[in-house]
Amino acid sequence: MVTGDTTTVLAAREVGRRFGDHVALQRTTLEVREAEVVALLGPNGAGKSTLLALLAGGLTPTWGSVEQREGVRIGWTPQRPAHYGRLSPRENLELFAELEGEPDPASAATRLLGEFELPDAPRPSARLSVGNRQRLNLAISLLGNPDVLLLDEPTAALDPPQRRKLWQSAVQHKLRGGAVVFATQNHEELEGHADRVCVLLEGVLAFDGPLEEYERTELARTLV
Amino acid sequence: MRSALLLVRKDLLVLRRSPVLLGTLVAYPLVIALLVGLVAGYANAKPRVALVDEAGLPHTITLAGQSFDVDETIRQVSENVKLVRLSRDDAARELRNGEVVATITIPPDFLSDLRGMLRSPQLRVQTTTGTLGSRVNQQIQALVYSLNRQLQQAFIRTNLGYVDALKHGATITFLGRDIQVLGLDRASQLLDRLPPSQERDRVLDFVHDAKLALVQTDAAMRATANPIQLVQVSQHGRTWALSAEVQSYAIAVTIAFLTLLLAASALAAERDENVIGRLARGLVGFGQLVWAKVALAATVALALGAAIALVFGIVIQAAGIEGGEPWERLPLLFAGVALAGASLGALGALIGGLAREARSASLVALLAVLPIVFLGLVPKEVVPAAAWISEAFPFSHAARFFSSALFDADPWPSVAREALWLVGLGAGYGLLARVAARRLLA
Repeated sequence: MVTGDTTTVLAAREVGRRFGDHVALQRTTLEVREAEVVALLGPNGAGKSTLLALLAGGLTPTWGSVEQREGVRIGWTPQRPAHYGRLSPRENLELFAELEGEPDPASAATRLLGEFELPDAPRPSARLSVGNRQRLNLAISLLGNPDVLLLDEPTAALDPPQRRKLWQSAVQHKLRGGAVVFATQNHEELEGHADRVCVLLEGVLAFDGPLEEYERTELARTLV
Repeated sequence: MRSALLLVRKDLLVLRRSPVLLGTLVAYPLVIALLVGLVAGYANAKPRVALVDEAGLPHTITLAGQSFDVDETIRQVSENVKLVRLSRDDAARELRNGEVVATITIPPDFLSDLRGMLRSPQLRVQTTTGTLGSRVNQQIQALVYSLNRQLQQAFIRTNLGYVDALKHGATITFLGRDIQVLGLDRASQLLDRLPPSQERDRVLDFVHDAKLALVQTDAAMRATANPIQLVQVSQHGRTWALSAEVQSYAIAVTIAFLTLLLAASALAAERDENVIGRLARGLVGFGQLVWAKVALAATVALALGAAIALVFGIVIQAAGIEGGEPWERLPLLFAGVALAGASLGALGALIGGLAREARSASLVALLAVLPIVFLGLVPKEVVPAAAWISEAFPFSHAARFFSSALFDADPWPSVAREALWLVGLGAGYGLLARVAARRLLA
């Protein structure tokens, strides 16, 4: 159960993660609110993917806790595609649709195959192009009508038309009252997409504020 | 539970799409089962025994009037061992380094003792220490027993020759001298020619009684030489290859390899595919994940175990082998196979959780399954410690369950005991696997 602001749908409270001796993310507090797009910015190894995985529940925190508003559903796109290589795109979508409790898994799979222009052939997903695997990765995260989308460098392997479609989907999601948190290293993706920017440097949250405020900081100039 | 079943369906689909993997998973344990069978057969092979001839045995020995071809006699009596002639030093060296399991030394005075019969000639036996020692001792005892029997028969034949000479008369050789023996028949004839008298009649009565007594000598001598005779009756039941033991172990070995490897690699593969994070965020709990792999192992074990049992049954039925296949026991066997598959699958899931990566998990499972199987194959009487350790793994309980289910007259007590073991071990390993599965997220 999430505490604090009534618009908060998902919150990390003093959450941190250690892998062996390496601290990937120091104690971090972050709130995600409804109808908001948050950009997680930072260089490689800054802790962006770890924070997203912790928010998604795909990783258990070493310290702190993750809270979410009751009934809120989360969709998560990990940086590395997360689906079964020997199953076809449709079989992957149907399996995860059933696990997500979709009432009609077959229809949900058909819809997402169309939306993401994925091949509906009995070909193993492992043989798809890198771009198509990333599309399938994104499509799976949209199953179960999530309220919060956690996208880890979602445009990394997408071509320009697919990137545009992705941002259009994100905007529509926000307009419906949903929240989007995306990790990126690309400053160009902030403009026009992010309402808020969180900067992570070596596992520490170095900045958390509106995009306009971030753009005025020294940090914005050094990270470009 | 529904989530676990969805994952089982997914894993079966993946398995069906991997014909090479599936073929290897099925063929490999069958090959191992066959090799285990061959090794078990090798355990019955002749041990190599050194023969040190300090007596300088000639090619032929004449004893009790009978000639013995020494090499032929050794060949006949050493059916269960492979005798190799070695010098004393070579034999000692080979015994030390294990090339022979025993040495038999024929001491220098062996022949003179044998010929003189004033004291028993001796053979000196030295065996290796360890588990083979007792078996080799048995083989040596059997060898000496065979040798004694051959000599005994020769002596009986010679003695019976003397008795025959006493009855019917003959020229015999005794201690190198020819002796003319009159014989009771001719003595009786000579007595008949003498004038009747009281003394002649008394001697005639004695000759008559002596002949009657000697008629029984042949059978009596053979009977006293062998108070108890072992008669080998040929049987027409199952051969070793189709025995109950082999059938039980073949199924147990096969499913042990299959389920351990499958469950371990299937669980670790969830991490390799990078889906573990997706599943762990509320879609499938760690307990359900382990359940899914246990159910997968049980399903595949049941399919393969049933196939092996049916093949065995058809072969036995088609060959018309006595004892036949207990078809009515197959449902009980199938229940045991599924239970054993689940128990072994839980152990496999534990390995998968600890190893974290599918390749490592497969390798660790392979490394683990071999000692588990071999511990289960070591007879309790030979190495008790191995049997105790084996109790902690499902393999030996599975093999005993299968054997009882198929062939015990009253299988229920044994089957119930082993089923409890399998359930207990499965639950224990399953709980540990649930804890270990958390490592997949790290």
